[in-house]
Amino acid sequence: MNVKRAAFLAVLLTILAILVVIFFRSGALEKIKPLAEVPPAVLEPSPSGPVQTRKIVLFFLSEADTLLHPEEREITVGSSIVRQAKQAVEELIKGSEKGYISPFPPETKLRELFLTRDGVAYVDFSEEIVEKHLSGSSAEISTIFSVVNSLAYNFKTIKKVFILIEGQERETLGGHINLSQPFLPLYDLIAN
Amino acid sequence: MAGIILFFLLSGILISQTQPFIKLSVKDYPTLSRVTIDSSFPLSFDIEKSSSLLMVNIRTDVPFRIQRGAFESRIIKSFGWSKGKDFYILAIRTKVSNFSYDYFTLSDPPKLVIDFTQIDEEESETPDSLKEKEALRERIPQPSTASPSSRTQKVSSALQGMKTIVIDPGHGGLEPGARGRFGTLEKNVALEIGIKLKAVIERNFPSRVVLTRDKDLDVSLENRAALANNNKADFFISIHANSSFRKDARGSETYFLSRDATDEEARRLAFMENNPAELGEGITGESEDEIQMILWDMAQSAYLKQSSLLAESIQKELNLLLRTSNRGIKQAPFTVLAGVACPAVLVEVAFISNPREERSLTREGFQVNVAQAIYRGLVNYIELYSQK
Repeated sequence: MNVKRAAFLAVLLTILAILVVIFFRSGALEKIKPLAEVPPAVLEPSPSGPVQTRKIVLFFLSEADTLLHPEEREITVGSSIVRQAKQAVEELIKGSEKGYISPFPPETKLRELFLTRDGVAYVDFSEEIVEKHLSGSSAEISTIFSVVNSLAYNFKTIKKVFILIEGQERETLGGHINLSQPFLPLYDLIAN
Repeated sequence: MAGIILFFLLSGILISQTQPFIKLSVKDYPTLSRVTIDSSFPLSFDIEKSSSLLMVNIRTDVPFRIQRGAFESRIIKSFGWSKGKDFYILAIRTKVSNFSYDYFTLSDPPKLVIDFTQIDEEESETPDSLKEKEALRERIPQPSTASPSSRTQKVSSALQGMKTIVIDPGHGGLEPGARGRFGTLEKNVALEIGIKLKAVIERNFPSRVVLTRDKDLDVSLENRAALANNNKADFFISIHANSSFRKDARGSETYFLSRDATDEEARRLAFMENNPAELGEGITGESEDEIQMILWDMAQSAYLKQSSLLAESIQKELNLLLRTSNRGIKQAPFTVLAGVACPAVLVEVAFISNPREERSLTREGFQVNVAQAIYRGLVNYIELYSQK
């Protein structure tokens, strides 16, 4: 009698253990699913097919004159405007592929970029943009309007650009141009 | 004793009669309200309309008395005054949301007449109101010598005082500004040129010259502007040396403030602190802020025009001196210029980032030449536009 009872209990416990394992395993699988599969589906609608891209125009300096010169770049689309704008600024910091001059200290990093509903893009740079800057009036104007023009030119929803440094508002980059208000693009500075 | 008192009384009356004045009167007609501005001196003015306001910018640096009786009008609500360095702004506030206006002037005695007509919806002026205006125009007694005065007529000024010029050597102290390849610092070059400019102005031109710093000191951008405003500066000249990511960049540039930067709070406050609406009739009502904003804007556009002419005059001399192709005058939202309530420019003397120009900038002779060029540009401007 005792042996029968013990065997019955053992079977019950085994079934229970199996059920518990199945329960947690399936839960884990479901948790992993969205992380592993859903985000790529949002970024790339057809992961096996070609990545969709669009051409944008970035503005750099040239030894030839004082103007900003356009250079085309491809960025991935399908992502939000904010992500596209981030790509644009990151490409801008990386510098020209055609030998134009980059108006950024090479150590500069883009920390964050966000867009308000009324069309102001807040572009947050790392401290290096101030620390390593040449800080002359012309240099400051080039840096600022390279960003402002590149963003406003390519993204219709961006009307003005506000430059932040380490998440904070700064008076100037190097003692000249006022950063305490958003900039409208200045297309007069663009060559042709 | 009684004779002395009588003498003072009489001279007091005489003085009050010779002091310049402006007299405002308002009268309603069936279709329009008429504001008549009588003055004891020829009026040089601009008119600007802004929603429910009409701004009359009267260019004069001679203080005047304002006379105004009580009035009752369908359209005109109140008057407000604000004072700039060499202009006064009369804000005529209306009770209506939209109006049209028309004006004419008479020169002897000087008189500016502004007619206000209310606009209902999209209804334009009726033939009746036009007819009435014509009739009213004829009714004003016109002396035989009267002729409509020219809008560009200049106000002659007997009280031409000494000019105060504030020179601002850029950067200083812990803030060195741009740095050249041979280690030259913008703050040192700016100070050297600033001191030399002060000396050359004082030697040759009767004026009061103030430096925002005369040694290697930290001075905030805000305090530089405040110093100019507290000294009631007539001109503000900031001295810098330029720097560019382009190795070949060379030459001098003269900047003045760009317009779309002027909606900035700091600048508006700086102006209001120095130019309170002090002429008796304060601006009242819920839209005081709006009025102050427009007044500030108008004051700024007046200074901007002068700043651009001053920049041009200085740039011309610098181009001659440095034999550079004209880099021209430029506009940018400089923090230091934004707080200054007078014509203000920022001179970028050569590029410290260009090794050849860096060497020039450190040479005594070059600094003297630059100071003299800026001085000539300033004096040319004063002689052309500022002295009557």
